[in-house]
Formats: sequence, structure tokens, C-alpha cells
Amino acid sequence: MRLGKWIAIIFLLSIFAFLVPAMATDHDQEVAATHDTEHGSTHGLEHAVSETGHGEDAGHGGHGGHVNLGETLPLWSCIPFACMLFSIALFPLLAPKFWHHHFGKISAFWAACLGIPFLIAFKGVAVHEILHIILADYVPFIILLWALYTVSGGILLKGTLRGTPMVNTIIILIGTILASWMGTTGAAMLLIRPFLKANNYRKNRTFMVVFFIFLVANVGGSLTPLGDPPLFLGFLHGVDFFWTMKIMPHMLVTAGILLVIYFFLDTYHYKKEGLTSAPVEEGVKEPLKLVGTHNFIFLGGVVGAVLTSGIVNWGEVNTLGIHRAMQDWSRDGFLILMGILSLWTTSKRLREDNDFTWFPIVEVAFLFIGIFITMVPCLLILKAGLKGELGFLIAAVKEPVHYFWVTGALSGFLDNAPTYLTFFNTALGAFYPGMPEAQAVPLLMTETSIYLKAISAGAVFFGAFSYIGNAPNFMVRSIAEEAGTSMPSFFGYILKYSLVFLFPTFVVVTLIFF
Amino acid sequence: MEFKKILFPTKFRELAFNSLESILELKKAGLKEIVLTYIIPRDEVGFVPYGGYMKDEEERLREQARIRFENWQEAVSVEGIESKVRIEVGNPVPKLLRVAEEEKVDLIIAGRKKRTVLGKVYIGSHTLELVRRSRVPVLVSKYMVRFECEGDLITRVNDHIFTAPLLATDWSEPSEKALKLVSSFKELADKVMVTHIIGVKISKGLDKSELNRIEKESKERLEEYCDRLKKDGINAEPHLFSGRSAHEIIRVARERKASMIVMGTTGKDRFKEFWLGSVSHRVTEESELPVLLVP
Repeated sequence: MRLGKWIAIIFLLSIFAFLVPAMATDHDQEVAATHDTEHGSTHGLEHAVSETGHGEDAGHGGHGGHVNLGETLPLWSCIPFACMLFSIALFPLLAPKFWHHHFGKISAFWAACLGIPFLIAFKGVAVHEILHIILADYVPFIILLWALYTVSGGILLKGTLRGTPMVNTIIILIGTILASWMGTTGAAMLLIRPFLKANNYRKNRTFMVVFFIFLVANVGGSLTPLGDPPLFLGFLHGVDFFWTMKIMPHMLVTAGILLVIYFFLDTYHYKKEGLTSAPVEEGVKEPLKLVGTHNFIFLGGVVGAVLTSGIVNWGEVNTLGIHRAMQDWSRDGFLILMGILSLWTTSKRLREDNDFTWFPIVEVAFLFIGIFITMVPCLLILKAGLKGELGFLIAAVKEPVHYFWVTGALSGFLDNAPTYLTFFNTALGAFYPGMPEAQAVPLLMTETSIYLKAISAGAVFFGAFSYIGNAPNFMVRSIAEEAGTSMPSFFGYILKYSLVFLFPTFVVVTLIFF
Repeated sequence: MEFKKILFPTKFRELAFNSLESILELKKAGLKEIVLTYIIPRDEVGFVPYGGYMKDEEERLREQARIRFENWQEAVSVEGIESKVRIEVGNPVPKLLRVAEEEKVDLIIAGRKKRTVLGKVYIGSHTLELVRRSRVPVLVSKYMVRFECEGDLITRVNDHIFTAPLLATDWSEPSEKALKLVSSFKELADKVMVTHIIGVKISKGLDKSELNRIEKESKERLEEYCDRLKKDGINAEPHLFSGRSAHEIIRVARERKASMIVMGTTGKDRFKEFWLGSVSHRVTEESELPVLLVP
């Protein structure tokens, strides 16, 4: 009953909170209308466009954004978004069992806290904004993750491997390379079980899994939009497919440093454990074999579909008032086809041997619908640039180094996908306020590319900083713990590993590139 | 063909122990060992969103299961049957099939659905998947079920399930195996009702002479089956009917007061089953009696 009262209070406060700025907007519009009548300004037209919910959905899945609404919305309209992210950060720590069984409801609650008052207050514009983020961002985002997860779940590495420092380093290196092409989740899921099996005779496996998370589940995914969700969101908003290759030097430095550290650390432990001679093999030695390799064809299909959607222009189609490019819908359809073909052509037994389960992807789908809906006001305010209530943030975050560290620091403790989108919009607001996304993003990729590099590298690299930085982190942790590898606590991971190994590495990256 | 080693998986639902007790009489048919199994669904303890794995919860569930099984093992050992406990984490059906393979069991026991819907199905999706995929016989035990009969709500307790089995045969290879299995029930069964249904698909469009030929042939085969059972020391009686196979089997079993239904199953996958249908799976879903399916 007490919980019910709190829910009701939060809900009522949300509605009240939105009605106030909505009334203020009405007042502003009245003033603006008078002003326009007097001076024939086009400003009033912008208002009208926003009000009817037919704002420009410029170009490649992006949109011009209702700048006016962003200028009007109060900062506390971002509270549901913050609460959503803090729920993700705190519930798994404080009440894991409750969270495990109710995360969907919690996500729906925060989405409703934003969505319902937002719809009551801003009606058509709110519908348009919410539909836009769902159709242009959430749907393709989830479809890509689902396709990569499904296809890579059909590939199984079988056989007996002996986890020596060299073999382990090579596995992590292969995973780091694969991550950009099959997604950090796909690469991590493909290799984590063989990696753990290869090292089940080793006493200290914790650091191995942590470095696996650093490199395969995060840093490795920085080269293409397929690699890490933040980069795909950037792609959806107009960043070229191969532009992310510009992160290669940053990635090579980071991965190089971490791999060298890993090798020496593993060698130290290997010797300390007295494992210089070959361990006695238990059971029959099975040769290494990759099963379900036909799924690489579907993986190629995924890469091809995403790449093609960034190159061709087949016109636009209006879906529920949202303009989306035909090639984007085609890409999404093709990705679903690749997933279905993978499911159809891969034996059930193979997926079972891979311990394949839909649960992680369902979790991501439930949580991200909450994240995407609650982040609407935050993105609008950021897009308004200095005129929005987050103008102080835009004013404070000026240099590339700021973007790298602020995007990174928040990515480490909140999921990196929404964080990327937040600072992507911060940069757009700072450099090109009011300019449609289709025009602003190409400029961000060229004129001010160092900022986009800083945001991209920050979001992807810092995703490794904690378990909650990126979705594959918790999947790898879960599989490792189930297999009997003890993993550090949330704070243990940060204090013993992230601060010791990642932090100095990122300082080096900063000194070299930003 | 005997049931020497049985896999008894459980979710510790109500009446699970009674269900276990009801199969202990298989000792008379050669039962030596029961593998008591509990699968902790991975989704219950793993992949906590952004959290990882709940090791403590796994330990708690393991401990809870171990204590319950200890109690059950005592009851099993009183009957002079050996027992073993397997508690695993994984996807329930694939994991059960893997345990069955590792333990080389002769029979898997599957339970009924927790809440039965009147006039609807008695088994859940997991049991159906197990039945579809198992390479060893599966007994869907249904210890207690409720069903509607002529407007009355009847609660039925299925104990002593081996006393009057109804063997439904379609002359297939699995049916032949089922016959051999039933032969091992001689210490348990009072009589076996060997039944064949001339299905609508077969009889439809045939002229009378052709129907007579099929009827005559079926009767001869039924007699042959009964003779073989009698030779093994089991009282058997033939029953021949015509109509919708699954519906007729359920009806006859109810009318003749059968204690269980034994059938061969060809193991159709979900796709084939959707298009072609499966009599054995339909009987398993809809009959209030325990069903033993032999692949």
C-alpha cells in the first residue's frame, strides 16, 4: 500500500510538472503569434510546425527536432530519464532479485511517468516525438541487436583449448577484432564459454574475464556501427558507416596497451600457479572446430544491409506521421530475415550447446523502450543548445577532452547508448544550434570531427568501466559466475580493475589524441 | 525391455511426491534406480539485467532442493529402490534430455500442468517439448486431475496406474516397442486393453468391401498382439473402433476404465505436427489419464 502511494505521488507530480511548462508554452505562443503578426517573422511558423507535430524529419533517420519545445522544457522533465538510468545502476546492486523479476514494470513505470504527462501537456507534438524516437531509433536499434545476437548465437566454437597466456591473449585479440563486425555482444557470446572452458584448470580466472569484458565486450566494438550500440545510434542519425574507422588509432592504442598488460599479468599468474608444464588433460582431447559457420553468411548479410542503408537513397515513406527512409525500413526487414534464416537453418541442438537463451535480448528490449521514451525531453533540451535549460552543460563542455571524459564518465555508470546520443546532441546544440540534423551531422563529421571522435571513443571505451556501462558486460559476468569464476563486486571491479588499468590507459589516449 | 532406471524431474509442485510414490510400484517390473532431478532455470538466477548472476539464489535453490530430495530418497529407499540426486542449472528441457542421456535412463517421468483448464489441456509446453524430443519413453503421470464429464466436475486421482493399461496401436514400429514394454508389466497389470482405431483419414471414401477388409485385417492383428501378451502371462483383450483417432482413444479409455494409455509416438517436430497433427500428443494433452509414450 505504501509503495502504491509513492507511485501515485510520483505520477501526480509528473503530470503537474508537465502542465506548468505546457501552459507556459501556450502563453509564449500567444506572445509569439502577436509578435509574428506584427513583424511577419517565420518564428511563429516554426512554432506552428512543432505544434501540429509535422516537424521536419530530415534525412537519414534523423529529424530536425522541435527546437522550440527544447527551449521551453524544464530541466526536471529529464528526471524520469535520470530515474530510469539510476534504476539500472542501483537496483541490480541493492535489490537484484526484485529487479530481476520486475525490471519490465520499472521500465514501464518511468516511461509512463514521462509519457502520460508529456502527452497530456503537449498532445500532438509529444505523440510525434515519442513515435519518432520509437520508429527512428528504438526499432532499428533493437532489430540490429536481435539480428546480431541471433546470428552469432548460431556459431559455436567446439574443441579442447589450453588456456596459456599466449592462447588467451590470442582469443581476446580475435574477439577484439570480431567485435566490430559481429557486435560486442555477438563476439563476447561466441568466445566467452570456450575461453572459460580453456581456463577451467587455472586458479585465478577473474582478471581474465575482466580483460575479456574490457576488450571484447567494449573496446573492440569501436570501428563500425555494428560494433557497439552507441555507434549504431550515431549511424541512424547520419554518421557514415566507415566514419567510425577514424577511431582506429584510438582503438589500437587502447587495445594494444590493455593486451600487453593482459599478457604480462596472465604470464605472471601462470608462473605463480606453477603451470609451466602442460597440465594433465582430463578426458578425450577434441580438436578445435567452428560449428554453424554458415551463420557467417548471415552476418555478412547484416553488415551488407547496414552498409547499404547508409549509401543508397530510395526516398522516404511516411509511417504514422514519421518520415523514414525506405532504405532504413528495407534494412530492418533484411536484418529480421537474416535472423529468421539463422534460426531456421541452425540446429536446435547447436543453440542449446551454446546455452542460447532469449532472456538477455528480451531484457534489453524492455529496458531500452523505457530509456528511449524517457530521454525525449533531455534530447530536445540539448538540441536547443544554449537556449535550453542544459545550456550550462553545453557551455561547460567545450573541448574535445571534455567530451571524451564527460561522455566516458557517464557512459561508465549509465548505459553508453543513451549517453552517446545525449552528447551527440550536446555537440549538435553547441556547434550547430537549430540546424536540421541532416545538415549538422556531416559538418560534425568533418569540421568538428575531433568532437565526434571524442564522443564515440568515450562512449565505447568507457562502457567497460563498470558492469553497467554496456549490456554485454553483465552477460559475460553472468556466464562466468555460472561457470564458477568468481567475479568482483560492482565496486571491486571499478577499484581493482577499471581505475588501475583503464583509467591510466584513457589518460594516455587523451594525451595522444585529445 | 524394462524400466530399470528412471529419471524423475520435478519442480516441487503440489502432489509431486505423490506422483513419485505412484511409480514406485514399478519395482515389480524391474525398477532399480531413480534419478531425482531438479533443473534450476537459468533465467531464474542468471542474466540479471546489468547485474549478472545470483549465486546466492542458486545456492539457496540448490540447498532447498537437496533437503527435499533427501526426504524423498528415504521414502524411495524404504521400497528397496536406489536413488540419486541431480541438481543442475540450465534451460529445463534441453538440460533434462542431456541428463537423461548421461544417466542412460529407460524412462522419463513428466508431470501435469499445475492449473488445469476445464476441458482443455493437461500438460504444459515444457512437457510437450520433452515428449516431442525424448529418445526414451516418457510417462506423463498426471497424479491428480480435474475434468468435466457430462456436466459434472470430477477430480480423479491416478494411482495404481499400471493395473489396466490401454495400449493404443497403429501398427507402427513405436507401437511394436510399446507392446514389448507393456509385456514387462505382468506383475502389475490385471489386463491390457489392446485398441486400434480405424481413423477417419483411412476410412473416408472407401467402399464397404475395402472397409471390411481393413476391419478383418485389424482384428487379426489385434488378436496377434493379445496372443503375444498372453504368452508373456498378461491378460489382454482386443478393442476395435472407428472414428477420430485421438477422440476415440480418450473415449474408450474412459469408458473401459483404463488406468493409463500407452502409445507409440513417431516424434514429429513442431512444424510437422502443426501441419500433420499428432494423435499421441493430442491424447497426452487432452486425456485425464496418465500417458506413456514410446518413441
